[in-house]
Amino acid sequence: MRLRRTLVAITASCFLSMGLQATTASAGVIGTQEYLSASDRAGQIASVQAALSRADVRAQLEKFGVNPADAETRVASLSDQELVTVSEKMNSLPAGGDGVLVVIGIVFVILFILELTGVIDIFKRV
Amino acid sequence: MVLAACSSQPPSPPEDPLTELTGVPFFPQTIHECGPAALATVLNYSAAPTNPEELAHEVYIPGRQGSLQIEMLAATRGHGRLPFVIEPHLDTLQAEVAAGLPVLVLQDLGALWLHRWHYAVVIGYEPARDMLILRSGTDRRRLESVERFVYSWERAGRWGMVVLPPGVLPATATPERYTRALSDAAGRLPAGDVAVNFDAAVARWGNSPTLLFAAANNAYASGDLSRAEGLYRRLLALDAGQVAARNNLATLLLDRGCVTTGQREAAMALHTADPVSPFLEALRDTNRRAQALPAAREPADCHQ
Repeated sequence: MRLRRTLVAITASCFLSMGLQATTASAGVIGTQEYLSASDRAGQIASVQAALSRADVRAQLEKFGVNPADAETRVASLSDQELVTVSEKMNSLPAGGDGVLVVIGIVFVILFILELTGVIDIFKRV
Repeated sequence: MVLAACSSQPPSPPEDPLTELTGVPFFPQTIHECGPAALATVLNYSAAPTNPEELAHEVYIPGRQGSLQIEMLAATRGHGRLPFVIEPHLDTLQAEVAAGLPVLVLQDLGALWLHRWHYAVVIGYEPARDMLILRSGTDRRRLESVERFVYSWERAGRWGMVVLPPGVLPATATPERYTRALSDAAGRLPAGDVAVNFDAAVARWGNSPTLLFAAANNAYASGDLSRAEGLYRRLLALDAGQVAARNNLATLLLDRGCVTTGQREAAMALHTADPVSPFLEALRDTNRRAQALPAAREPADCHQ
């Protein structure tokens, strides 16, 4: 991780010192993404960091059981900022799928009752 | 009374206006796969045929037993539809549904520190009973009280998205938010659809600098130079200080043989730019390129 961060920093400073030529759409034209992120330094760095995040996200998807061919296409369809976000937070981003944390036994039952009573109390007072 | 009887006013709305998009299809979810099921629901409704099995390959992560919001957006683009994340307010959500767009939402059905993330699709609401109507899990028509819904929606960051067919604008978008959504998706959608979306947006928000700039760039990139030039000029007429637009206009003029006019626009862009403008380097480049071109007789329509 430390090595990766160092690489990001070095690459980012290279690109940034080059006046962000990397994000210019074509010769002489100021691109839309560049225009949108002109006031947004995070956006500028994201485009640089994305290159490094790509392999990382693909590896994480595969580790979580996505088949390699799917992982490849899925990574290709993410924008720069999305890649960076997923790369940094793959474990903590909400994953909608009804997965309930399994808490066995009395603890669960007590929590369940707490939830029910709590919810009912809350809504009676609204 | 007599007056009322004679007037041709439309009948007053029923006292209990119920909004429900009954045509939204239903895909009952299999275990953990509410993401693909909810996404199939909104994609099919927007006339992009697909099914949960196909979508599971695009958004489901077995090791997380679920789907990430970001991948739901990415997969939508992959099916030729523009995803738009709505502003996090119940009013906004209801306005989109009322305008005919079902809203795919993330809910947290857990409590305290236990999370149970769930995707569902809001298809209507019943004001009389203060209920939302959802396609959710294995329920084709789930009624949820607004209070209960907001509790779970709040826990999930009030996240909701609509799926837009070409040319359809969200009811609640601002031009800036829409422009960003469209620009993020532009590389993934068919070029013709992107142009249709920009045209629809310019027709609605013709005074938004951000939108005009993005629309002009898109027209330029797709080779429609006269449309692009018109949009850059329209933006500059609104705000002469848009140096990025002037820079791109200069480049376009040079491209089409308007050397003198292009040189003048390029010089003006650099001259009027803020000393700390992030575009200075690009402006200087364009000037160097412009000055290096030999003066030539210009086409008649260079200066408009």
